[in-house]
Amino acid sequence: MEDLLTYLHLVVLPQMIDALVIGAALAIVALGLTMIFGLLDVINLAHGDLYMLGGYAAFTLIGWGAGYWGALVLVPLLVGAVGWGLEELGIRPLLPRADRAIVTLLLTFGVSLMLRDLAQVVWGTDTHSIAPPFGGMASFADVFVPTYRLFIFGVGFIAIVATWWLVYRTRVGAVLRATAVDPSMVASFGIPIRLVYGFTFMYGCGLAGLAGVLLSPIYAVFPTMGHDFLVMAFAVVIVGGMGSITGAVVAALLLSQVQGLASLWIPPVWAETLVYGLMLLVLVVRPSGLFNRIGEA
Amino acid sequence: MKKSTIYNSTAFAALTLAFASNVYAADPIKVGVVTPLSGSYAPIGKQVRWGAELAVKEINAAGGVNGRKFELLFEDEEANPPVAVQKSEKLLQQDKVDLLTGTVNSGSTLAVGQLAERNDRILVTTVSYAPSITGSQCNANVFRVNANAFMQSSALTNWLAKNVAGKRYFFIGPDYEMGRSTIGAFEDDIKRLGATDTGNSFPPLGAKDFSSYMGQIRAARPDVIMTATAGNDTVRLLTQLKEFGILSDKLTLAGAAGAVTQQNIAAMGGAAEGFLSAAGYSIDIDTPANKKFVAEFKKAFQSDPDLFGADTYGLFYLFKQAIEKAGGTDTEKLRAAMEDATWDTPQGKKKIRKGDHQAIVDMVVVKVKGNDFQTVGRVPGEEAVGPDNCKKF
Amino acid sequence: MLQAKASRIDAKPLPKYAARLSVGERLVQALKPSHSDTRLLRWCGLAMLALAIIFPWLAGSFYMRLAIESLLLGAVALSVDILLGYTGLLSLGQAAYFGLAAYISSLMYLHVTQSFWLVALTVSVAVAVFSFILGAIAIRASGVYFALITFGAAEILSKIAHNTRAIGGSDGMIGIPVPRIPLLPGVAIDLHSNFAFYYAVLAGLVLIYLGTRRVLNTAFGSVLCAIRDNAERVPYLGYNPFWYKLLAYVMAAQVAAFGGLIYPLLRGFVAPNLFGFEVSTKAVVVSLVGGIGTLIGPLVGSVIITFLESVVGSYTERHLFVLGLIFVVFVMFLPDGLVGLMRRLSAVRRSANA
Repeated sequence: MEDLLTYLHLVVLPQMIDALVIGAALAIVALGLTMIFGLLDVINLAHGDLYMLGGYAAFTLIGWGAGYWGALVLVPLLVGAVGWGLEELGIRPLLPRADRAIVTLLLTFGVSLMLRDLAQVVWGTDTHSIAPPFGGMASFADVFVPTYRLFIFGVGFIAIVATWWLVYRTRVGAVLRATAVDPSMVASFGIPIRLVYGFTFMYGCGLAGLAGVLLSPIYAVFPTMGHDFLVMAFAVVIVGGMGSITGAVVAALLLSQVQGLASLWIPPVWAETLVYGLMLLVLVVRPSGLFNRIGEA
Repeated sequence: MKKSTIYNSTAFAALTLAFASNVYAADPIKVGVVTPLSGSYAPIGKQVRWGAELAVKEINAAGGVNGRKFELLFEDEEANPPVAVQKSEKLLQQDKVDLLTGTVNSGSTLAVGQLAERNDRILVTTVSYAPSITGSQCNANVFRVNANAFMQSSALTNWLAKNVAGKRYFFIGPDYEMGRSTIGAFEDDIKRLGATDTGNSFPPLGAKDFSSYMGQIRAARPDVIMTATAGNDTVRLLTQLKEFGILSDKLTLAGAAGAVTQQNIAAMGGAAEGFLSAAGYSIDIDTPANKKFVAEFKKAFQSDPDLFGADTYGLFYLFKQAIEKAGGTDTEKLRAAMEDATWDTPQGKKKIRKGDHQAIVDMVVVKVKGNDFQTVGRVPGEEAVGPDNCKKF
Repeated sequence: MLQAKASRIDAKPLPKYAARLSVGERLVQALKPSHSDTRLLRWCGLAMLALAIIFPWLAGSFYMRLAIESLLLGAVALSVDILLGYTGLLSLGQAAYFGLAAYISSLMYLHVTQSFWLVALTVSVAVAVFSFILGAIAIRASGVYFALITFGAAEILSKIAHNTRAIGGSDGMIGIPVPRIPLLPGVAIDLHSNFAFYYAVLAGLVLIYLGTRRVLNTAFGSVLCAIRDNAERVPYLGYNPFWYKLLAYVMAAQVAAFGGLIYPLLRGFVAPNLFGFEVSTKAVVVSLVGGIGTLIGPLVGSVIITFLESVVGSYTERHLFVLGLIFVVFVMFLPDGLVGLMRRLSAVRRSANA
């Protein structure tokens, strides 16, 4: 019994806390993805590369003297602006089509290829890094967590709450939710739908950029870093429910726990495969995911 | 036909042939370099490219090989074996290269090596360090001029056993063929030397977060952590080890030669300080040849060379020597000329072992200091090279 | 005959305001099989076949083998078109069958037998079973979810191949021999000859294409088109869409498996990359570029893109960017692909002549 408690305390608990931090970061990325799908029916395969742009933008801004905190504020805005541009130029013309989910998926895939190559041209192939703004370890009850990771968790938490508040407690959010249900009705109220779409896409991409800045000090910056989160983010979005904010958050935390805990008992590569298997399972049993889409009851 | 016509036409034919062979002698020696120029292995491909370009520039400027100049043809293999094979076939059949090199990951080297054999050409790898390439999957048309994982391991572990007081070792490597075989080599050598194996972890290749392994590492209380990660994986592992407070003066970091290189050392932010590895090359090798090589490399490419660049550079001097000895690029003769060859490289003399086509390389044990590498030990090639496991030729 | 005459008599030039259709509408129109256009398409198809037949005499051994590889990719692209162009299902995981066929084929050659037909039979049966099971699961979802399920399945297979050392792990397996294919007693195709290999694959692919075209021209094909156009209405006509979709899926898997069956013989090895996202998406890309819904489009697209990539790759390392750009341009401005473009041009010409 003693051994079991020690095991739970010293092995399982730290694993769960680590997974919690990863889950918060994952939630930020997945939130953006799910909002874009929920509102626009767009599967943004370039989302991982926008996360990468966030990391590179932070690296460049800090190189120019903006400092970490400056970058933390500016980068989401910058990446959001890129997202806006992408939406205006690429997504908007395709939205009227009936098969837009498929076509925009293909489009964002093409954009993703281009972004990755561009990053290599602009910033080179070497890996870059950003120093974390502060170091140090926090410890409680014999469990150690780097302070910066607690910060990441904190920012993630704030981002989630802010998004939830935006979508469910403001007028803007009401408009977003209404547009997800019935765009033409909203348009007939005189609300410019194109701004709604643009704003949503910008917000989603901004979240990806935020994740990029936040995670670069511990994950480094290099052209293929978008791959880190992309597949997991999709798994989260699918399991949580495409277009559901609650779903994205719950699934992010859940799946990261599953992967983290499974890694204790099976080889980590298989833990990864397990998460994909779960994704597949949810797609088969309940394709719309655990939670319902924005706007749906 | 009249006799004179026959004589005339024969003379004419002979003259044409002589003229043609004269023209033939000035034909360039084409070397195909199929290496990753895009994707996550691009930094390695970049060094390979630079090493090749510098060597060819020097050799051609000095008159070439028996009057013939080297010509390089580059193709991007994207570290993807199906692409590597396709591009290599283009080099072999369309561009008619005489020699092939440049492959980086072992899957590509094995597949391209097989293709080279089927096309009667020789492939030399300057990067791949999977033991199987000159071991269980050896191929009469494949040569390796860089140190393989066994060599790195035996040199490094020997040095560690002699110079590090602590005997508790922990191993962490990416979960794929290369990672597993490298860690396997480390573990075997360490146990043979009488140290304690306190455990191992195999995160997926490309894993971003190593926090889930920290608990295991901490519980193992190692004196030495040995890693087989490379590129970005190493950056993440080491920065996170630092983040979690596991790095300390009492802990020694060590690992494969590809773990910390020019490409990622700047990104470590000091986390790699003191990292030890054994390689066939170090930038601070104190020979006139190496000093000249490094200076030329820096001048040409505004960047320091690493082992990939140096080994590729050295390869072309082997090619030069072998072609001169074989009197041409006939594969049979080249193979014979290369099989026992000893030649000069920036890091000293290398010798190809006939039994498995593995180069015997003097190993240096290198320590990271700041953003530089410092040699702290040497192991002669014959000691490090390990047994000849090739049974196919 | 009568029908064609009638349509010519009745055809009026398009009124100006109707001449410019939106991109979306053009895509929808391209997907409709239109009888008046097939003559041009048929001529194009024959022209391309002629080109394909004389190609080996013009090109060297490398380009012949590159052409074979493009034909194998074309098989996968064809399978994408069967599903997307005719049934309205986007599959992002056809590489699963390509890879499965390749691995099973390799394992059999390395450990079991050298007989081509036995291997082909085994692959066909294995892929049929696997696609039946996966299809039955995946088809219950539709649209985007179907795409994601197929994507997930291919990813999982890729990871399994990557993690399982017994089948080569991340390095894959080399040493697959180049066999001889016995046709009749005494007559065999020796794949060591590039010519024989090329023509054998070309013949095989032409047969598959014709077979697919034949099957899709039947009532079965019409039901598939109906499912694509308006899936909700189909049950009211008395058809159960599930079985039709499933059959189309199994059929498509067999077509993709043809590519995987031959690949190891061409290149001599297999690697987990063959299951990868790159293969699946490339099949979709070339189908789009060639023209979805035309069956010949994916084959055209595959040949063009494969050769383009090879040429571009020799000049610049930015080939990913180029591929992405081509793709974006086609998605936005030429969604019906090259064949669809030809169709539109021929329709314009036809209406101008009428």
